[in-house]
Amino acid sequence: MIQTQSYLNVADNSGARKIMCIRVLGTSNPSYASIGDVIIGVVKDASPNMPVKRSDVVRAVVVRTRKALRRIDGMSIRFDDNAAVIINQDNNPRGTRVFGPIARELRDKNFSKIVSLAPEVI
Amino acid sequence: MRLEKCYVCSSTVYPGHGTMFVRNDAKTFRFCRSKCRKLFSMKKNPRHLRWTKAFRAAAGKELVVDATFEFERRRNVVAKYDREVMASSLRALTKVSEVKVLRQADFHRRRMRAKEVTDRKDGLRDLTQSIQLVEPVLVRERADAKARVAAAVRVEEPQARMAVDE
Repeated sequence: MIQTQSYLNVADNSGARKIMCIRVLGTSNPSYASIGDVIIGVVKDASPNMPVKRSDVVRAVVVRTRKALRRIDGMSIRFDDNAAVIINQDNNPRGTRVFGPIARELRDKNFSKIVSLAPEVI
Repeated sequence: MRLEKCYVCSSTVYPGHGTMFVRNDAKTFRFCRSKCRKLFSMKKNPRHLRWTKAFRAAAGKELVVDATFEFERRRNVVAKYDREVMASSLRALTKVSEVKVLRQADFHRRRMRAKEVTDRKDGLRDLTQSIQLVEPVLVRERADAKARVAAAVRVEEPQARMAVDE
């Protein structure tokens, strides 16, 4: 359940460490983003000497949520943290690596590049 | 389809039931119900909760090492469907479950042997030290009634003597 003002960890090596959600894309009303949804975020914390700087406005896709994700087969999955991967306009990741496990739902939403970079797909 | 075991209580998690928790190092934990999930998030060790299989196994209260458990072991190699194998395993199922029940009953009997000894010892102690506990209720009631009558007579006696004096 990611909404505006939510902080997310960044699960890639783009340079950002933490982003704050400022908009959930694809909804006219204010609502929540879950795994596979694209958000606009602002970088709150970044590593030095990397392309993404603090206070940059970035597009990101949510890859892990604490809130349980309900699968069609009845299984529900929850993760340890809320995390996102920073992407460009073509939905490709801006970093070259993805950290931590990610949900399989990203493949269905055509983030196949992120899925292939991930060390573990749950 | 795979029947998973609950991380906390080791009960079977059927498809469509329970939840899965994925830690950031990609280790997954299955829970059969919210009770087990909450206990996990409270960082309870299943070995310290008396009602879980993990506790009972660790405390020697359950049969743990047995060939019958091999049938429900987790295997990472996918078994190709074979009609013959399927038929023979279905035939074996009834026999295996029979053997399982017998072995578990045997284990329970062996486990309860120590209890028999202590029960006997406790009984003997009660017989020697507190016989009134095992005395029939009727005997105790009669004795009580007798004592009550004796007390009443003792109270009445002085009054009777006073009447005679007058």
